[in-house]
Amino acid sequence: MPVYYLEFIVVALGLVLLMVDAFAKLEDKRSLARLGILGLAIVFCLLFIVKAPEAAVGGIWRFYAAPDSLSLFFKGLALLSTILVLIMAIDYAPIVIAQTANPEDGAHPQAGLGEFFALPLFACAGLMWMSSANHLVSIFVSLETVSITFYILVAYLRRNVGSLEAGVKYLILGALSTGFLVYGFAWLFGVTGSMELPAITEALGKDGINTTAALFAFALILIALAFKLGAAPFHLWIPDVYQGAPTPVTAFLSVGSKAAATIVTLRLVSPFLASAPLVGKITAVLIVVAILTLLVGNLAALPQKNFKRLLAYSSIGHSGFLLMALASAPRASVANAMSPTTVVAFYLGAYLLMTLLAFLVLSSLRVAIPGEEIDSYRGLAKRSPFHAAALLVAMASLAGIPLTAGFFGKFFAFKMAIDAGQWWLLAAALVAAAAGFYYYLKIAVSMYFSEPAKGEEGAIRVSPLTGFAMVVLMILIVAAGVAPGVIVGLFS
Amino acid sequence: MTFLFYLFAALALFGGIGVVVCRNPVSAAFSMVLSFLGLASLFIQLDAYLVGTLQILVYAGAIMVLFLFIIMLLDVPEEEKRRFPFISFAGAGAVVTAFLVLVVLVLNRGGTAGRPLPAIVPSEPGHSDVHRIGELLFGTYWFPVQIVGVLLLAATVGVVVLSKKELK
Repeated sequence: MPVYYLEFIVVALGLVLLMVDAFAKLEDKRSLARLGILGLAIVFCLLFIVKAPEAAVGGIWRFYAAPDSLSLFFKGLALLSTILVLIMAIDYAPIVIAQTANPEDGAHPQAGLGEFFALPLFACAGLMWMSSANHLVSIFVSLETVSITFYILVAYLRRNVGSLEAGVKYLILGALSTGFLVYGFAWLFGVTGSMELPAITEALGKDGINTTAALFAFALILIALAFKLGAAPFHLWIPDVYQGAPTPVTAFLSVGSKAAATIVTLRLVSPFLASAPLVGKITAVLIVVAILTLLVGNLAALPQKNFKRLLAYSSIGHSGFLLMALASAPRASVANAMSPTTVVAFYLGAYLLMTLLAFLVLSSLRVAIPGEEIDSYRGLAKRSPFHAAALLVAMASLAGIPLTAGFFGKFFAFKMAIDAGQWWLLAAALVAAAAGFYYYLKIAVSMYFSEPAKGEEGAIRVSPLTGFAMVVLMILIVAAGVAPGVIVGLFS
Repeated sequence: MTFLFYLFAALALFGGIGVVVCRNPVSAAFSMVLSFLGLASLFIQLDAYLVGTLQILVYAGAIMVLFLFIIMLLDVPEEEKRRFPFISFAGAGAVVTAFLVLVVLVLNRGGTAGRPLPAIVPSEPGHSDVHRIGELLFGTYWFPVQIVGVLLLAATVGVVVLSKKELK
């Protein structure tokens, strides 16, 4: 099966959901989400049987890279995160209903819920297109497909002022960053005379290149990418948007949007890093951004009281580690060095597992615990040992404790910085990791060693599907923490 | 030609400033039309006749009329007078100045002297701009156009969900 069928199948699935929602008059619209999960799971299996084309020239291949392990890995991440987001959305449905529809005679009691399950599928297709895009035009249109779907999803709770405010902020700042991206693309086209990434790589590697203009193009593109990645100093939107958005959407933003931004960054920055006249300056810029992001994200997370806001700053901090791996390409003298691409992909895979686990717990508790303050999770271990254990694994992995996926993610990133001899970067990363230990484990301590607030001692149940997803994620986190070679092996 | 360029560039900038400065929403919308007209003339001077015409037909025509309709239907009141926000002005001014200096520096160091751009293929006789652009969109660029279709679908669904008065 040609690889580009996958995205079209996902889009078709989204259309099916919309049509079923419109015409089938379902009693309980949550079955739409189950249909979506099933379809995406089938597409995930199809990933393993795609065939590489014999000659990837012309036609669609002008815009769409021939399948390599990297693009397939990122497609898998997109599918997996969308499946988990839909699972979260099922638990979260009562909140969506309460804050979108207003009950009146003749209206469906779950009006507006169907689209909440269909829109993530279009975002997923956009994310998958992005992971294969190798032409400035296809990068741009797939990035915009994802962004516009996210603008809608963030503002989805239309009777909730916080959600609307987050949507407007995200829309305005996102549009501004898109402007920078397109301006940068225009300069890049002017410098290299092509919009296809292979040709751009070739043109940037030549000696006669106009380095000033190329650097200007890079700066403009980096502004836009840093915005999407949530790298300092373009991270200001993240805390507000993450806090205001519906919890499943926050999870999707922090994982899907970050994975897509990362692969676009990998693809757009690699031509610059491969160019002999530019590589020194580009690395210097990336290192400065990485140091800033590491420090800002992790130190600003320390005083946070709101759980979603804390995870927002944590997401900024993790962008810092990703940029650290990207910025420290190994010196030639180091034997057996991993490529930055492998390290970034592993880190992102680990980040996906642990962040989605944390958000699964959050959204599954949202109905029982309405507050999102960290204090409302006090004594959780006594009310629901299962939720507490899952959150403990997620926090341990986010902090980077050995035997979890997060440990090896950080370990590889640190090793890259050491191999590259980037000591300033390493110092910042050490401070960041130490701060991370404090704020992640603070939550674990409050769950296990304090009593629940008065009047909130009741046990909390977990739905079978969510429970199953949590168990799978926990197993995967520990498995990747014990045998990271399996994932790394995908890229060698 | 250079004179015309400066004239229309000034017109576009003047309109742009008007959008920000005018307190009355209707005046702001008309300033935007002015800016679009200047921009369209610039496109036409670059021999991009189709883009110039579309700029006038679609943006200055259809979209701005829609804007005006909405402004009048909602009866958007004139913006209230605010205290002069000195700090925001200083910050915005600093960023714009820095960006302007950067662009000037880049241009002075041979910014436009990059690799030669691909030559523009002249239309075959009888084939207009529209014909060629259509061919490109639905021939070479069919794939991105499909993705834009998905984008528009998602946007339409979003508009309905977010703005419909009573969801059914």
